[in-house]
Amino acid sequence: MVIRFALAKGRVAKKAIELLIELGYIFEDYSEKSRKLIFTDTTGTIEFFLVKSPDVPIYVEKGAADIGIVGKDVLLEHPAQVYEMLNLNIGRCKMCVAGFKDRPIPYGKKLVVGTKYPVIAKNYFHTKGQLVDIIKINGSVELAPLIGLSDCIVDIVESGNTLKENGLTVLEEICDISSRLIVNQVSLKTKHELIDPIIKEFEKQL
Amino acid sequence: MLFNYTIDGFENIQHQDYFSLEKITCKLMSLYRSYGYHQISTPTFETYDLYVHEDSIPSDDLFKLVNHQGKVLVLKPDATLPITRMAAMNHPHSDEIIKYSYQSNIYRNFSSPEMIKKEITQIGIEYFGNNSPECDGEVIALAILSLLENGIADVHIDLGHVGFTNYLFDELDLSETERETLFRYIENKNIGDIAAYLSGLDMAADKKDIILKLPTLYGQPKNVLKEMKTLCINTKMEWVVEQIAEIYHHLEVIGLAKYVIFDLGFTNQMNYYTDINFKGYISNCGEPVISGGRYNNLSEKFGIPRPACGFAIDLLKVIDYMEEENLLPQDDQTRTIIFYAADDKARAYQFAQKLRANHVMAEVFIIKSAWDDHLRSLQKNQLYKNAKIYFLSEGQFFAEKNGEFQPLDSLEIESEVN
Repeated sequence: MVIRFALAKGRVAKKAIELLIELGYIFEDYSEKSRKLIFTDTTGTIEFFLVKSPDVPIYVEKGAADIGIVGKDVLLEHPAQVYEMLNLNIGRCKMCVAGFKDRPIPYGKKLVVGTKYPVIAKNYFHTKGQLVDIIKINGSVELAPLIGLSDCIVDIVESGNTLKENGLTVLEEICDISSRLIVNQVSLKTKHELIDPIIKEFEKQL
Repeated sequence: MLFNYTIDGFENIQHQDYFSLEKITCKLMSLYRSYGYHQISTPTFETYDLYVHEDSIPSDDLFKLVNHQGKVLVLKPDATLPITRMAAMNHPHSDEIIKYSYQSNIYRNFSSPEMIKKEITQIGIEYFGNNSPECDGEVIALAILSLLENGIADVHIDLGHVGFTNYLFDELDLSETERETLFRYIENKNIGDIAAYLSGLDMAADKKDIILKLPTLYGQPKNVLKEMKTLCINTKMEWVVEQIAEIYHHLEVIGLAKYVIFDLGFTNQMNYYTDINFKGYISNCGEPVISGGRYNNLSEKFGIPRPACGFAIDLLKVIDYMEEENLLPQDDQTRTIIFYAADDKARAYQFAQKLRANHVMAEVFIIKSAWDDHLRSLQKNQLYKNAKIYFLSEGQFFAEKNGEFQPLDSLEIESEVN
């Protein structure tokens, strides 16, 4: 039996692979430039593949991967039936509402929000009881308020440098984001004796 | 022209799959029948009122329509509620024992851009009027047997009891939101977020420790039971431990305990279960295929307080798995085709009738063009790929052999019929 990992491409995957290597797994054929899709460790007990982050919960929910490592932002945006077992505390950042400092969020009138995270934005403003129009944008979200597409944005903020360079600031913090280790609900039970030690090892690394 | 005219979430079932579906349904129904369950059926439409106060099914997930009287109807979103009502209507004495089995399609209007099936074929049982661990044991046993009987060996039943968490939470002074949030984290086994959330709550440290243990209460029943005993803070929680231990013992006695593991992380957030609650898994199949449990408060809504326990199997998910594993019953019945010249019609039909009487599929067609053309066009058709093809002309049967049509003697033909 093999335990399959689905990792979100990017910074998080790099750190997750480092974690796996620290745990003693050796991936001979892995390098950052490799075009291979699936990497197996030398003992043949662990496999991982890299996918776009919103796909990680899907792979894990459907059981194509047993374990996934992905940001909380993705789990909030694409809720999936998975066990969210560990907060790995890597890739830490904040989900924020950002906009122009001198133009605070207007109350009592409709606000236009540009975001990569329409679900998170909708839930946040809905709980606040604020009317919003949400425009889904797939990248360079900071551009939207600059050219008048939206009043503000909802996005993850790590250092805040991109915001600063474009004259924007954080107006409200929505929640903390960090990477989570998620597990398929069936695998946890049927591959218990293999998955449990891996989770324990990850826990120790924290 | 109606090209590609399909609706997302609804599917045709192809003939091979339907054949398997029928075979499996038959097998399961006779299994349930051998335990005394009677098959019943409830209407496809239900009144909206039946589900409007039911938290287990979000109103957005219901297919609604309005009938000629202006009444709001829904396409049946679950099987248990209508069956509970049926039991309550037909059996007004609450101490009666009623055992029903059913096969039915249910409909959920999931709003998702992905292809999620909105028509789900369920098969299952409901056992009313028995509140004993033996009843729970029988229901769980039948869930396991339903899969074993179909050749699926890698069966896992995940057994929990919503009472354990509920009776613990009753002791703590939690608001509705706090309860819901904790329930959600427990269901997701999200220990990290539970810890973070609890740190903001005003609660004794020893109680917090118990809550943090809840998501870890899964695995080998014996170990989990030991762990559970150390966490009880009231007699109700102790009662849950006794109940679930007794059910496990029952399953040990009937030899099915090896398929069962415990998971006390189930809550009754999104369902009507009051006591035990279980899910059935198959190895390498990423999603549960069976869902069941005890719902002792549901019948009361229809005026008859009566305990009940049951489960439902997602039949098409099981069939998908069996197809991958080559476990499906195959439709390999042979079929015989007779092409006849106009003058031999009576003979052809008589012959076909004899074959049918012997449980052979028989079809007759009149010869309209060259025999070769008939033969080739039929052989191209996937549905006829194993068919035996005869030609009947001037009272004589012919069959194709090595590219030639050769006459058959009457003995050869007679042997077909017998």
